[in-house]
Amino acid sequence: MTRLHPQTLRIIALFVALLATVVFFSTQIDSYLSPRMFTRITTSAAVILPIAVGQAIVVMTRNIDLSIGSTVGVVAYLTGEFLGGHPDLHPLVVALLAMGIGGAMGAINGVLVAWGRVPSIIVTLGTLALYRSFLVQYSDAKTITTASLPQWLVDLPQANAFSLFGLDVRVTVVLALLSAIAMGIALTRLRAARRIYAVGSNPDAAVMAGINAGMVVFVAFVISGAFAGLSGLIFLAKFGNITVVAGMGFELKAVAAVVVGGVSILGGSGSMIGVVIGCVLVDTIDNSLTRWELVSEFWRDALLGMLIMAAVTVDTVMSRSLGRLGAKGGK
Amino acid sequence: MKKFGLALSVAASLMGTTLMADVITATPGQAVNIVLLPKFLGILPFDQADRGAQEAAKELGNTGTYQYIGPTPENSAAGQIEMLTTATTQKQGVVMLSNNAGDQIAPTAEAAQAAGTKVVTWDSPIPSGKGESVFVAQVDFGSIGTVMADMVFDEAGGAGEFAVLSASPDAANQNAWIEAMKTVLAADAKYKDLKLVDVVYGNDQSEESYNRALGLVDKYPDLKVIMAPTTVGIVAAAKAMQDEKLCDKVKVSGLGLPAEMVSYTMNGCAPEFALWSFVDLGYLTYYTSYLLATGAIKGEIGEEFAAGRMGNFKIDEDPGRAGAKRVLMGPFTVYNKDNVEAASK
Repeated sequence: MTRLHPQTLRIIALFVALLATVVFFSTQIDSYLSPRMFTRITTSAAVILPIAVGQAIVVMTRNIDLSIGSTVGVVAYLTGEFLGGHPDLHPLVVALLAMGIGGAMGAINGVLVAWGRVPSIIVTLGTLALYRSFLVQYSDAKTITTASLPQWLVDLPQANAFSLFGLDVRVTVVLALLSAIAMGIALTRLRAARRIYAVGSNPDAAVMAGINAGMVVFVAFVISGAFAGLSGLIFLAKFGNITVVAGMGFELKAVAAVVVGGVSILGGSGSMIGVVIGCVLVDTIDNSLTRWELVSEFWRDALLGMLIMAAVTVDTVMSRSLGRLGAKGGK
Repeated sequence: MKKFGLALSVAASLMGTTLMADVITATPGQAVNIVLLPKFLGILPFDQADRGAQEAAKELGNTGTYQYIGPTPENSAAGQIEMLTTATTQKQGVVMLSNNAGDQIAPTAEAAQAAGTKVVTWDSPIPSGKGESVFVAQVDFGSIGTVMADMVFDEAGGAGEFAVLSASPDAANQNAWIEAMKTVLAADAKYKDLKLVDVVYGNDQSEESYNRALGLVDKYPDLKVIMAPTTVGIVAAAKAMQDEKLCDKVKVSGLGLPAEMVSYTMNGCAPEFALWSFVDLGYLTYYTSYLLATGAIKGEIGEEFAAGRMGNFKIDEDPGRAGAKRVLMGPFTVYNKDNVEAASK
């Protein structure tokens, strides 16, 4: 038996968990394995995936970004408002604008954490409230509505990128996946991106190896903000109606997806494929529970919490015992 | 004879004054410091209530201060308790509260009352009524049930399945309204062909409400109406039906803001919805608060007072909360394609 990397084992375990979830619910819910359900889950996960990708990068450097829910809200609002006045902007410019606003907000976190030496949980808890307060002040209680948005953006969530075996893959899903793939390739192939792992595994060793740890952390937060910006744009397109509560609570969903996806909260390890599966798993559980006759609405949140905990436990136990097996076989 | 006539006329005029005295009017120009504390800042209904309160403050020539303060959305319950405590220490006259903290805020409200700061609730009361002087109710919670049932009846064409998409499972208002609707549905034979199949909760978040609405149409293929008695839920549900091109099959109705609903009403996804005026609610709450703080009314059942342009109101027992008192505003407006565009401006 060839020795499998623990990370690979984790992904296999996660994939099995996802498969088990889908198989289980397909016995419980009528016409569960349908193209419609596929679209429901993928489009819903697409809103969370970019922020989960950004969050994963930050978590890998031993930090956490709790401000992203507020970032999503601010970006969705500002982009929506700007588009109301400039409806002819090219979609690419709009995407860059959204990611730019998000990136700037991430840079504020980054400066404070990397060079201000304030723990990230404190900084981002602060900016979580600060960005939300800014939105409250700025919005002046006005709502962005679909009526003020250009038609291409309103149509975007329904636009199909391509169909595979009768399953529709939406443009927003492709966008979200692209962000994960780009980051995944960077993390495995780019030397600069490998520094993220180095700083997360052992910051002191990383510094001694000549890595500018502060810079790495700063960049991680900028990336997190920029990806939250992308989520903000998808959020704007999908829901159209943006008030000051937009994106509230997203930080927890992103952290859940990241942790379930096998990114170690202690930093230094994790993969993008894990994050993608984690994100899909959390969303599958959520979307399936709402359609499950047996569970009343009151139990949905509790069950979701238990299933997330179970997923994490199973994943940890399995990868540990499989790792041991693998190690034995390898000797 | 002449004497008798005089006595009669004196008696009549005395009766007249007692009758007049029954409706208490405010004495303008007094100083009362008033705070308007909404669930949180940044959404339209609360800003409209602020506008109404300012209008009343101007009319009454209140020489005291007026503040519109509130927590940010993610800190609503804890923030409200903190702000009520601060207002008490500042010795504010009245805090006008749209409660989002359930009964958790009751001890703080009781402490405020003990320190001389009155707590007048509006929009959303303190469930137990503890620490609350009086609740200014937007509409009779029972009659919302009738309006909700009627809107479902209209949009379903008198028969079929419908579901409710509410805010959160512990939102006191919405739960009371849904119960009232169920009572109406059971009591009147007119509604016998309407079937309430499910009640789901979107927690007043766009994405959750959107996903719940899609869940409903997946789960109940024959669903005809989604009734959403929450302004966030109704927009999200209408958007979901529009995105899925289901507007011909599934109609959305409930309580919504004209400015946010106008496009969905015009394109037929949500042909009919209702709401009351938050400007009026703020105005009436301010009058009630001013009268209470100046001692013109004591906040007791049976007292009747005049509230400027809105006319006379009476304090009665809250039918939904034993021992609590309310001032009933009402009525509300039903919006459709004929009046929604004008109201959305």
